Amino acid sequence: MKSHKPTIVWYQAVTCNGNTHSLLSASSSRLELFLNSFDLIYHPSLTIDTTLDDILKLKDIDFLLVEGAITSDEKYYSINQNSTKNILEKLSQKAKYIISVGSCASYGGVHKKFEQNDDILGVEEIIDTKKYKNLKHEIVNLTGCPVHPEWILQTVFSLNSFSRMSLDDEKRPRELYSNLAHHGCTRNEYFEWKVEGDFGQKEGCLFYDQGCRGPMTHSSCNKILWNDVSSKTRAGMPCIGCTEKDFPRENMLETKKNIGIPLDVPLGIPKRAYLSITGVAKTFKIDRLNKKLMD
Amino acid sequence: MKTVDIVERIEGEARLNCTWENGFVKDTQIDFLNFRGFEYILEGKPALDALVYTPRICGICGQAHLKATVEALENIYKSLNEELVITNKAKILREIGLNIEIIDSHIKWFYMFILPDVIKLKENDLKEYSPLKGKRWLEACKTASETIKALAIIGGQWPHTSYMIPGGVVSDPTLLDLTSMMNYLDLAINFFEDSIAGVSFDKYLSFNSVDDLNILNEDLKYFTNLSFEYSLQKYGTSYDRHLALSDSSISKRGKIRQRLTDKLDLNKIKENCDRTFKVEEDSKNKEKHTWSKAVTYNSMFYETGPFSRAMVSHREFIYELHKSYKDSVFTRVMARVDEIAHLLHSTKELIKQVDISEESYIKPKISLKDIPKANAKSVVEACRGSLYHNVSIEKGIITKYDVITPTVWNLGPAIKDEKGVAQKAIIGSPSLDIAKIVLRSFDVCSVCTTH
Repeated sequence: MKSHKPTIVWYQAVTCNGNTHSLLSASSSRLELFLNSFDLIYHPSLTIDTTLDDILKLKDIDFLLVEGAITSDEKYYSINQNSTKNILEKLSQKAKYIISVGSCASYGGVHKKFEQNDDILGVEEIIDTKKYKNLKHEIVNLTGCPVHPEWILQTVFSLNSFSRMSLDDEKRPRELYSNLAHHGCTRNEYFEWKVEGDFGQKEGCLFYDQGCRGPMTHSSCNKILWNDVSSKTRAGMPCIGCTEKDFPRENMLETKKNIGIPLDVPLGIPKRAYLSITGVAKTFKIDRLNKKLMD
Repeated sequence: MKTVDIVERIEGEARLNCTWENGFVKDTQIDFLNFRGFEYILEGKPALDALVYTPRICGICGQAHLKATVEALENIYKSLNEELVITNKAKILREIGLNIEIIDSHIKWFYMFILPDVIKLKENDLKEYSPLKGKRWLEACKTASETIKALAIIGGQWPHTSYMIPGGVVSDPTLLDLTSMMNYLDLAINFFEDSIAGVSFDKYLSFNSVDDLNILNEDLKYFTNLSFEYSLQKYGTSYDRHLALSDSSISKRGKIRQRLTDKLDLNKIKENCDRTFKVEEDSKNKEKHTWSKAVTYNSMFYETGPFSRAMVSHREFIYELHKSYKDSVFTRVMARVDEIAHLLHSTKELIKQVDISEESYIKPKISLKDIPKANAKSVVEACRGSLYHNVSIEKGIITKYDVITPTVWNLGPAIKDEKGVAQKAIIGSPSLDIAKIVLRSFDVCSVCTTH
């Protein structure tokens, strides 16, 4: 692959750098292929010979990847002596594709909770895509706190090969966000039979008490495993719904209930249907599911 | 002459201002211009939500923040004489997670943030050390990524898991899980032997004199040679006072001013905001130039980090290097890389000690919501040094949360005429390149200062 490689600019705004470290934790053969297939010409933590000023002088960028929320407030945030909003606008004019990497870039995320700065936004809220002539595609939101590295790689490779991706209402790639975090969770059987779990156990479902949002969160965390080995819910940590717009919510590690029943039921399931099935399932005491998985 | 430079390839961005005289840095100032307001964010939030929020203070040392939050909340129980029982298994699994994150960070720091700059002093072409392309750079990245898998086994993912909770940990690893974790660490040990130190792991761990530098091969030898060629064993010295607020599996708490003591009183830690911007004021005050606060112990600046840990714990190889090369860039970098080996060794031992038949988690009998009012502190040794959390809650809601990160200890501004630790270290640098390397030797994290 010696021909011209599509250029990538990784722009960091208001961020903890978590998505950068997620990317670096990608499956190493995949990351190597990615770095070999594209020319990552600028990343503030990684590249050495290019400055942001150099990038601002370029005419075109193929892929603009944005990490972090955006603010025009220079009191709280400035990069290269300019506001993150100004720089984003300049970079966006050059880009063929803009990808918001992570929940902060997508809609402000955790940083939006810093209310003393009431001007924290996601990329999509700032960039009016009609105004940017170079753009070949809608802005793609890769939500998640952080985003899964493989989702970044698949999105960039896919846009590069097919110039298109089907997006959902939140502008997330359908192929990555149509599934729920629940799909593929190793605790599914406990969910089906309403066997409640607790922290520190391999057994039981975390939906009933520990606040797990797996059944209402769009993500492929249990389909494409994290760090190639596991997922939060597999390990025993409830899904906190970090790919959804309402993240971070309040009381993320407990289930809001009404008369002992989870207030929020699985996505799209009528409450009556959920309650009926729950009632039936609970009348059975399945021995195997109430025992330790391994003794 | 004055220079103002934006420094990238740290975590975040910083501005380095230098005044020059006769070709040397006469005075300097480090500005962190970004603020994300985590302490403000945490106010009014349910206490347990801090377990989700604080890891997100930093994408590289999130597990240190998680551990600090968990221990601060557990110390709340302790302060009310309701101390929680935490099983040995849970304690070990927390320590393992923290250690793995530190190993990951140290490897990345050396290959991504330090070595390229040091090589650049001599060579224009970084060859195998080139970011994103070079063979060794990619191997280092791969090693970090493989190592962190060991943490994902117990945490579910990395970055940003909250697998530690008051009462224990959420996961319950099997023997097979523990074995896989050791496998991933063995990959890192192989990399340390083959590429970092170029000597066998056991031999390296037995290093105890400055002459052992001659046994080194591979990247540490390369780094050592370049350091001596460009006098990095002379530049970067500061107060040579060291602080480690917490014990860890490889180091002890304590401080060295002139001599070592393990007597520490957290009440002697004081933050200073004379030169720090404030949220409440629109500062045009010329004294104020950074979002980082300054922090002192007993009114004195102390360095913190892997080097300080090695000094306080009297780790022989580093202790001996310090005798010859003081608190220079060279010693500081060597101490951090040295810690990789000791952490790998200790973490493997810790994994062997996990008794899978123990409970991972014992539910607290009292909910934080039922506690009218309480306050507690915690300290953790993070990759860059000592981390301090101080939380106040009322009926389960956070009323105040104070975080002091290692970067604040090392890279905070001056107080009156007294220079901050890194500031003092940069003075005397003979070039901007060296000044930046001195700055980097502290592992600058601007996202750390923006709590």
